[in-house]
Amino acid sequence: MIEIPAWMVEILFTFGIFLIITVSLNFEVGYAGIPQFGRVLAVLIGAIVAGAVPGRLLVAMFNVSVEYGGEEIVPIGADYANHLINFRLVDRINNEILGVNPGLSIAMLIFTLLIAAVFGALIGYLTSYPALRLKEAYLGITLLAFGDTLQLIARNEAGIVGGTQGVFIPNFFKWTGVGSIQITNKILAILLISAIIFLLVELIGKSPFGRSLKAMRDSEAAAKVYGKDISRLRGYTLMIGGALAAIGGALYVSYTGSMDARTFTRLTWTFWPWAFMMLGGTGNNVGMLVGVLFFALFRYIIVAYKTVLEGFIPINTAWLEYILIGLIIVAVSMFRPQGLIPEKPKTILKREEIEGVASSTSEEGA
Amino acid sequence: MIEVILTALVVSSGIALAAAGITIIYMSTETFNFAHASFTAMGFFVVYHMLLLFGGSPYYYFPFAALFTGLVGVLVYLTVNKWLIKRGADMVTLMMSTLGVDLILFGLINHWADFIKSTIPESQPRNFLLRNMDPIFNLGFIEIPARIPISLILVVAIILSLHFFLTHTKFGIAMRTTIENPTLARVMGVNTDMVYLTAWFIGAALAGLGGAILSMIDTGSPIVGIRYIVPLFAGAIVGGLYSVFGSLLGGFLIGLSQQIGIYLVALSIGSQFIAYKPAIPLIIMVLALLFFPEGLGSLQAKLRGRLFTKPKVVGGGGK
Repeated sequence: MIEIPAWMVEILFTFGIFLIITVSLNFEVGYAGIPQFGRVLAVLIGAIVAGAVPGRLLVAMFNVSVEYGGEEIVPIGADYANHLINFRLVDRINNEILGVNPGLSIAMLIFTLLIAAVFGALIGYLTSYPALRLKEAYLGITLLAFGDTLQLIARNEAGIVGGTQGVFIPNFFKWTGVGSIQITNKILAILLISAIIFLLVELIGKSPFGRSLKAMRDSEAAAKVYGKDISRLRGYTLMIGGALAAIGGALYVSYTGSMDARTFTRLTWTFWPWAFMMLGGTGNNVGMLVGVLFFALFRYIIVAYKTVLEGFIPINTAWLEYILIGLIIVAVSMFRPQGLIPEKPKTILKREEIEGVASSTSEEGA
Repeated sequence: MIEVILTALVVSSGIALAAAGITIIYMSTETFNFAHASFTAMGFFVVYHMLLLFGGSPYYYFPFAALFTGLVGVLVYLTVNKWLIKRGADMVTLMMSTLGVDLILFGLINHWADFIKSTIPESQPRNFLLRNMDPIFNLGFIEIPARIPISLILVVAIILSLHFFLTHTKFGIAMRTTIENPTLARVMGVNTDMVYLTAWFIGAALAGLGGAILSMIDTGSPIVGIRYIVPLFAGAIVGGLYSVFGSLLGGFLIGLSQQIGIYLVALSIGSQFIAYKPAIPLIIMVLALLFFPEGLGSLQAKLRGRLFTKPKVVGGGGK
């Protein structure tokens, strides 16, 4: 069994998770031209689902009980998220159920991701209401506002995912081993899922649906002339993008093992993916790969060489990271708005082939 | 209740001024400025740092807060925004570039807080409150802290001077011309570059001044901009984004409803809803966008005959 060295874990984890988020963002922004400034919304709903659903389901299925206030209870309502109960409950789930039952663990992981995707799609469907009526900055700010509102709810309603105390997520990888072996397996699973999502979006992008999205992005009027239903296209895009981002959110909390709504800020889950996307090349999935990998390495280097950096730049590395990411965003938008790997224009047929087609059709006509 | 209203007036004044700043920059350069959050936070820090260094009343340093952020705004224009406008960048690129600027400024403000802490060890740059330094006027039946008259006077003074500037000075008229039709303005010999630069200066200075006012009522910290950005955008959007006075009105609507609305909700339903205070501007903004997409500016335009507003449709203009 291979083991991923500790220094690579952080890089691969950031890479895998943010590849999913950035590809989903690129699908909406780069392919369909929707200014999605509320990416955190769908990511957060995925994380909420992972925090709220599988644990409660397992408790209900196996009648897991804990002692609380002098009596044995089986908490599946708001008390599941109570921080005095939750950690003991999840501990029992991990040790007694998931740790000894690989089949169930895998099934629960897949089930969680599917439910997250369904909720993400639902959120996408809901945001299509303003997305059909507003344009550019107005839509961007509205989506940003939705993201903030959901975070506010998740943070304050302790009955869903524990509010500011957070909840623990059942460990779907307990059966694979302990320590670095388990982490390796988690990372491999994340990379596998992000690869599947990457290929999926690549396929959708090349399909007639993906091509009509790009047509809509370039000229709504032209797309309408060719009989494309703009509102339906936008709606589907938001649903697909939301579902993928929600899977990313669910995977993230499943890896870390705990869900705290406060970590889902618009900075990390909306603006960073925007930066990765712009750096890589909006509209181009291979660009996403490059952009996310660059940032994953970049963040690792900043953290790893913290003390060296602080020697000659007298700024705390936490703030230096903001400044450098900001500089990259500004530099990309100023000097290379098309990104490192620009989107290739759709190649048209070769001249001879067009002539061939033209002559054959004219012969038919004659 | 009277205290809640008085507090709400101060918060609204700060939000309204900063929201007007967003609108001025948006109207002239079509840049939806994310860095406004950091401009507001800088207003907090200029007042706090100068107060630590020189003492006296915080109000002495309000002009410096406006001047400092105004100059930072000019710097942002000269280094970033100007070149993007020259290249004809689209709205989303302009918006993203200011997001980059915001991250840089956020990092620098945090470093500024570290710097204050290291040079003045007894300071609290990550959690400071200037409210207690405010002189209080005793009117017999009620005690009024100085921040209430001062913030209202500042708002009125800004409205009057902006009005005078835009209608009675040559440069102000040139500015309105540029906003309505940049190409024509350039043909007429208006230096549009100077107009954009002035817009950034005024817009950023208003954000700094708004931040300075807010520093008299709210706890200051480097993350204060992140907290205020949504009410600021909401104020500007409710105002319609193409009228300075509309966004002042929008800022007041957002500020008052946020402060008074949450008080009424807490009073009538329960205090557990206080945590949802930040949601009020969002709800108002979404409602305004969905049902009143022209914004409050359109209302004012109808009343005042489109005096300071940018018409929605500008035929043939374009940059």
